[in-house]
Amino acid sequence: MKILQSSEIERVEELEKIPDPSRRRFFQLAGGMAGAGLLFAACHPVTKPTDIYLGKGDIALLNFLYVLEQLEADFYTKAVTGAYLGISSNEYLALIDVRDQEIAHREYIKSLLGPTNISKPVITNFSGVNFADRASVLQNASVLEDLVIAGFNGAAGLFTDTAYPLSFLKLVSVEGRHSAYFRDALSHNNFADTTVVDINGLNQSMPPLAVLTTAQQFLTSRFDSSNLPQ
Amino acid sequence: MDLRNILSEIGKTDPEVYERLSSRRNALKSFGSKVAVAALPLAVASVFNKAYGKTTSVIIDALNFALKMEYFECNFYIQANSITSLGLIPAADQPGFNAIEAHERAHVKFLISTITALGGTPFTPNYYADHTSAPPYIPLAYDYRASSNTVYAPLFNNVFSDYHTFLIAAQTFEDSHIRAVNGQMATWAGNAVFSQMQQLLATEGRHAAFIRLIRRNLGAIAAPEVPAPWINNNIPPSFPAGSSVTSGNIVLQPFYNGEENTMQSGVDISMLADTASTSGYVPVLSASAAFDEPLSQTTYNNLITPFILP
Repeated sequence: MKILQSSEIERVEELEKIPDPSRRRFFQLAGGMAGAGLLFAACHPVTKPTDIYLGKGDIALLNFLYVLEQLEADFYTKAVTGAYLGISSNEYLALIDVRDQEIAHREYIKSLLGPTNISKPVITNFSGVNFADRASVLQNASVLEDLVIAGFNGAAGLFTDTAYPLSFLKLVSVEGRHSAYFRDALSHNNFADTTVVDINGLNQSMPPLAVLTTAQQFLTSRFDSSNLPQ
Repeated sequence: MDLRNILSEIGKTDPEVYERLSSRRNALKSFGSKVAVAALPLAVASVFNKAYGKTTSVIIDALNFALKMEYFECNFYIQANSITSLGLIPAADQPGFNAIEAHERAHVKFLISTITALGGTPFTPNYYADHTSAPPYIPLAYDYRASSNTVYAPLFNNVFSDYHTFLIAAQTFEDSHIRAVNGQMATWAGNAVFSQMQQLLATEGRHAAFIRLIRRNLGAIAAPEVPAPWINNNIPPSFPAGSSVTSGNIVLQPFYNGEENTMQSGVDISMLADTASTSGYVPVLSASAAFDEPLSQTTYNNLITPFILP
């Protein structure tokens, strides 16, 4: 019989605190069975004890969007602090504007979450970005913005409480503005090419988990998305 | 048909039907033996209204309003793009406006097919003659100069010959289009159309930013307008210094009223912490710019009526 590793036990204890009867029952059942560790691994193949649990249902979706907005806010904070050499005043002001707008989005979603927000700090990893280089900043900003829009679009239909997506669509068109700005600044007229707008003229949408997986390239933190609606 | 069967059937395609109804037990409790048979149709309707919010006809009406807006914009760009030989749009910006026209054409088609699929009759503009090939170009339906209107006529008189005027009109139309679609979104809440219309909104946001960026790069913007791809406060586009139009800001102000809002779901965004800003809070300008505000159908219709021929 495999004994649960201490880290796994901690993980189970942590999960025990989550007020989710089905989850709790699962682990009570798993704990009492031979080969529990194997079962654990089979059910959560990618989850590690250090992963940040997003929650379930609407809370998981909100925390998912909260992670995306944290990612953006941190990116632009770094982009403004280490602004590339020879940046024009217009581009510098735009970076400051976008930074403050993303901070507004981040803090707004955090306030909606209240005590259910993931309190653990989300650690970003922008090692692939050269903040001293204009093209690198604009390119990565475009990638981030497009990903975030796709994430909001993918999450919109998954909420139980439709008041959440209703309030977010007001910021989705603003994210569209951001993306178009960075794309066009990088390559004029390229603000809405066929990689982000489909044949119906609709902006790309992606399931939350796919967005989170893609966003991982900018993140050191890892997430337990086992109860993230799909 | 038994209600249990109806709910069960819906549950196969919409597993959340019971959550929408708060709980299966409550839903079924409403239909206990005490409910009079005569009262049942109404009761059934109320349960489904509770679950899905709006009736199909209300959803279709709002989609038709969206279609009306798309026709308006689509025809504007078709007209502008077709007169490039006269030098309205510079060659460097032409690909962008071609892309916008293509998107608006696609939106018209998308909305027509969505409305038809829902069993509705798609809106058609005045003077729309061809119902078989569905070409969205109906030049007789619109007067983008608003030449018979005393308020807008001086402003948009050169809309297809002066690039600044064209861009100001385009920006105003795009921004108010976003706001008016935004104002309809609650109607589609809980319906599959909601996500698609949100996707459409994001595309329109891209258009507005492109036009605003061109105006910023032209450097032809007068105070108090802050050159930006997003809507700062409720500031309308300004005509460049030296323009014969001096009252542009005042005339276009109604398109932007309400954009200064900083309250979202009871949260004052300008009171949220922002350690990067000098005040320690989200700047008021950013708090307003971070969210596009809705316009009601009535307000939007009043704003664009001068551009639609009777």
